[in-house]
Amino acid sequence: MIRVQNLGKDFRSGRRQVEALDGVSFNVEPGEALAVVGKSGSGKTTLLNCIGGLERPDRGSVASLGVNLHELSRHALSMFQREHLGFVFQFGNLLSYLTVYENIEFPLALNGIPRQERDLRIGALLEKVGLASSARALPGELSGGEVQRISFARAIAHRPQILLADEPTASLDSQTGHDLVQLMLDVLRDQAASLIVATHDPVVTELADSIMHLRDGRIVDEAQTAVL
Amino acid sequence: MNHGALAFWLRIAGLFLLRSRRTTVVLSLMVLLSVAILIFLSSLAVGINDAMVRNSVSLYSGHITGVNLAADLVPAQLEIDGVDAVVKRVENRGLLQQNDRVEPVMLVASDPADEISATALWRKITAGRYPQAGKAEMLLSEHTAERLGLGIGDELQFRHGLESPPVNFRLTGVYRTGIDNLDRGLAFCPPAIVPGDDVRWSAAVFLGDGIEVETVIGHYRERFGDAAQFETWQELMPDLRQLIDLNYVSMSIVTFIVFGLVAVGVSSAFVIFILKNLREYGIVKSMGVTPFEIGLLIGLEVGLMNFVACVGGVALGVVASQVMSTVGIDLTAFTSHNRYFAVSGIVTPRLTLYSLWVPPAVAFIFGLLASIWPAMLVIRGRTAEILRGI
Repeated sequence: MIRVQNLGKDFRSGRRQVEALDGVSFNVEPGEALAVVGKSGSGKTTLLNCIGGLERPDRGSVASLGVNLHELSRHALSMFQREHLGFVFQFGNLLSYLTVYENIEFPLALNGIPRQERDLRIGALLEKVGLASSARALPGELSGGEVQRISFARAIAHRPQILLADEPTASLDSQTGHDLVQLMLDVLRDQAASLIVATHDPVVTELADSIMHLRDGRIVDEAQTAVL
Repeated sequence: MNHGALAFWLRIAGLFLLRSRRTTVVLSLMVLLSVAILIFLSSLAVGINDAMVRNSVSLYSGHITGVNLAADLVPAQLEIDGVDAVVKRVENRGLLQQNDRVEPVMLVASDPADEISATALWRKITAGRYPQAGKAEMLLSEHTAERLGLGIGDELQFRHGLESPPVNFRLTGVYRTGIDNLDRGLAFCPPAIVPGDDVRWSAAVFLGDGIEVETVIGHYRERFGDAAQFETWQELMPDLRQLIDLNYVSMSIVTFIVFGLVAVGVSSAFVIFILKNLREYGIVKSMGVTPFEIGLLIGLEVGLMNFVACVGGVALGVVASQVMSTVGIDLTAFTSHNRYFAVSGIVTPRLTLYSLWVPPAVAFIFGLLASIWPAMLVIRGRTAEILRGI
């Protein structure tokens, strides 16, 4: 489970101090999907970065699976991210010098998964995202949507318990976006993982278990989708 | 870290370099050319020193001069490994006389064929020819010939002292080297013409390029003990030795300035290379790659590229040096009035162990050092900041 308490993060913009996050608190249970919505600059990406250990908060704490990430050493934080976290970035962020196959293989090899097992998992993931024929392609040869699907496959390949996705459907058409989110939720349920997704996309919010609205770094509304 | 993990990071580093094709090629070429040029320059500097030694010793003295050698010692005994040729000479101190003119002289009796094949004095003949074996013929310096008022074909006499019986000679050639101690008071004739020249003798020993004089002299001393006395060209020509030492010092200073510039260039290029790919390292870091692994990855990328470029640079440098040493670089236009290039202005670059390992080592070490700062930037920086800095 993810427990976020009173999270705050400031950025300096010229001479001004900007509060990107302020007093953000919430919990996400295993198997739960939380959609974080809000305008551009509302603090969604900063929130995901803090939860994933990519950014150090200035105030408050993030406990993932019972571990306070920001109290860990650099090495321990890396090991935690490697084993338990999966990121889907807004623009895919695939490694440009690795093929599709090698990009998905990277987290598996990092986690010491044997080659045979890697082959099986990568084959299955590529089938799931509909890009089995692109295994040898380099990211530069793929469309934005394809990059995003491979980014998703890479994020879940090592079966993380926490999946963080930043605008995963931004570069996808609505049908592909729907399919991808559905796939995320399937994986989430299979693995009892927690999903936090920052999005503008109504398709995503419809499928999420709960929605959190951020404005100027503060939670303005939190609701269960079923209730909504 | 186990072998499997190291192999994984090696593979990732290799793929990174292979697929960043243009950048890798440009950066590798820069390192490769720097290493090759440094190797070639270094071998050229050694070649220039070699040429000065070769020029200076090839006219007369050889690399080693054996003096006061016993009559029962034969030149073949001095021909050990590294020795190209040994010329046997008998030195007769005496007077040259033409009519009423007299000049003191050291008349060197030696086999004309040996002299011509081992020394370059015959190339400095300005008129006439070298004396022929078995004939009472003499080669004189222009200076001595003028002092005696002699021309080619004139008769002259040699005697050990004023009271000694004269030996008649005919002047067949005159030479000029531009080197005082060869141009004054020295004359050449075939052996067994002057009576009493079959006792103690001296030897001019000529070595191959790169053969250490001390090594050969060491062997001679082991073999002949105190029965023979040998002097090196360094002892006979301290001025040349000092000039070469000076050359080595200035060459070292220049080389290290060039190394420094190359090192700064290589370092800057590697820093730019890593910073250009900062985003990729941020992505890798977000997937849980540890600080040690980041450092290892960057080190392997820089190390692999440097290694391949250095191997290529050494190969190119060696080939260039070898080709130029076969062809020779003609610097006659710059050396024609230099006494240390009295015979030939052709320089043949020579590779030494120093010129082979220092340039690649410098490039390799500076490449790795240059990767420390950007690696620390990636390791210490927050992943989100690195990714934001795209």
